[in-house]
Amino acid sequence: MASAWCWSCLSRLRPTPRAILPPPAVTPRITSAPFHSTAVQYANPTKKKSSLVATKYRQGQVLKRKKKAKTERARPPAVGERKALRKRIVLSNPNALEVEGMKDLSPETMVDSRLRGSVVGLPVPMLERLRAVQAFKPKQGWSIFRRPGTVLRRDTIEMGRLFEKISGDGDAPEKGKVIKKIITGMKGSGKTVHLLQAMTMGFLKNWVVITVPDARDLVSGDTAYSPVEGSKPTQYVQPNAVSALLTRTVEANRQVLSTLKVSQKHPGLSGLKPTSTLEDLAKLGFQDAAIAWTVFQALWTELNATAAAPGMENNFEARPPMLVAVDGLAHWMTETAYRDADFKPVHAHDLIFVQHFLSLLKSGQSLKNGGMLLYATSTSNNPSNYSLEVGLNQLAARQAGIAPTSEEYPQPEAYSNPNARVLDLFKPATGKESALELQTLGGLARDETRGFLEYFAHSGLLRESVNEEWVGEKWTLSGGGIIGELEKLGRHVRTAAQPVAQPVAAAN
Amino acid sequence: MVFILGVNFPERNLLKKSLETFFGVGNNTSSRLLARFNIHPTCRVGELANKQVLDLTAVLSDMKIENDLRREVLNDIKRLKETGTYRGRRHALGLPVRGQRTRTQIKTPVRLNRMERRL
Repeated sequence: MASAWCWSCLSRLRPTPRAILPPPAVTPRITSAPFHSTAVQYANPTKKKSSLVATKYRQGQVLKRKKKAKTERARPPAVGERKALRKRIVLSNPNALEVEGMKDLSPETMVDSRLRGSVVGLPVPMLERLRAVQAFKPKQGWSIFRRPGTVLRRDTIEMGRLFEKISGDGDAPEKGKVIKKIITGMKGSGKTVHLLQAMTMGFLKNWVVITVPDARDLVSGDTAYSPVEGSKPTQYVQPNAVSALLTRTVEANRQVLSTLKVSQKHPGLSGLKPTSTLEDLAKLGFQDAAIAWTVFQALWTELNATAAAPGMENNFEARPPMLVAVDGLAHWMTETAYRDADFKPVHAHDLIFVQHFLSLLKSGQSLKNGGMLLYATSTSNNPSNYSLEVGLNQLAARQAGIAPTSEEYPQPEAYSNPNARVLDLFKPATGKESALELQTLGGLARDETRGFLEYFAHSGLLRESVNEEWVGEKWTLSGGGIIGELEKLGRHVRTAAQPVAQPVAAAN
Repeated sequence: MVFILGVNFPERNLLKKSLETFFGVGNNTSSRLLARFNIHPTCRVGELANKQVLDLTAVLSDMKIENDLRREVLNDIKRLKETGTYRGRRHALGLPVRGQRTRTQIKTPVRLNRMERRL
């Protein structure tokens, strides 16, 4: 430590600095009233705010703006994350009550007319396969119930019977027949769910189920296309879409496809052995999109084979019937977002994938081993299409017994310029072809409505006593039992003021 | 990254938008180019096959785009000035060329019309 003495002049250095005292308070203290009981105010007198900053002589005033502090922006979502969220399908709601005594859709229940109007659950092992064929759509209300279930309506049971007949369980004369249907109906009438039920039945009956969950995907110009060499007029193949179709088909039908062996020779496919299963065959296509169309054609011939090629008989097993389900048919009747080399729009019928599925409607026995073609229109995502409208009207007229030569038979209006190829699809069948049918889904019947609304009550969504009068009211409100509207009513009607004991009353 | 006409494009980018980054290629030209090579409108740069990249580059290099096009436009304006036309004069003065009013709203010509036109 330094000494306090300066050794050169022997004078005393300044002593250690004094303790720092607080600066004398600037505040004028109230000294005049020593006996005042209020506390002395230490606060500084407030300065007057000067609005202008004091400037020097002849210096201009500068407007000073505060810079905005940079806020940390959240990172944009990863690629595909938003789409995944948009397309997410939730099939279960743990908060909903489990409905006791709900039966599963099975080969027995799907034809049981005593169950008409009740909601049957989709079998749990089937859900993964239904997801694989994209049978569920994001905006359907599966997420409000404990488990997915559908109403057995009249159309469903009729369809169930068809499945049974075509499968030939009871040696019916319809065994191996092909049913071709176009399904229409109002918005919310259950067309897509009808297809879903068909797919479930197909799986239950061990059919091969091939689906196109959204017909628009093929025409919206979002998937690659290339012209087919030597085709005239030029046709286009969509390798990635075909590859996706093969992926769907294999994932959903693995059980069936893995048991069937290749029975024909496919010179275009080198990676195929005589002992390969159809699953192996289809897998070739989704590993390499370039040969996907060849693979699909090979798979199609295999599935439609009625006998093996000579020399390959020992592995042959009879092929099961097929279900082909397409949703959003109207998109396939217009021009697409694709352009040909001369920049003219490509018509959907020039896409070879689309043409393949549409030609099934026309040609005679299009599925050699029998099966069902269900092509549904959509009303929520629907291009307006005059030609299709006329075609469907003609189909409906024929079904109602009006002869095509009759005056009442609907014809396109003059100068409306309908597409001839589209109208061609709906021409009356000739010879032994199974005719194309039009199935219009309407509303549920009243008893079916009651069953459906009771399902809401049993699931704890609806706190109302479901009685005849109330059901009648909702049936009318829903435009005569349109099931989409009923669902809205079922999930919105919540009467908080009512006593809680109501769900029990719903059971009667 | 994919090279098209000497420019490097990230694979995630839309091909149509990438083509439109070239001076002289707009919506119409790029759509027609895609149609000519059977490329779908929402194709990404990374999805192109090698041959398609080469084809596109070949066609683009034959087209009058980028600097060639800029030079042409500048030459056209220069010609107007040299022949002493009204349009040439307006270009040089930084005023609207096609008869617009000059009382207000002439920011764009003031900005762009110079002795050497900005592009």
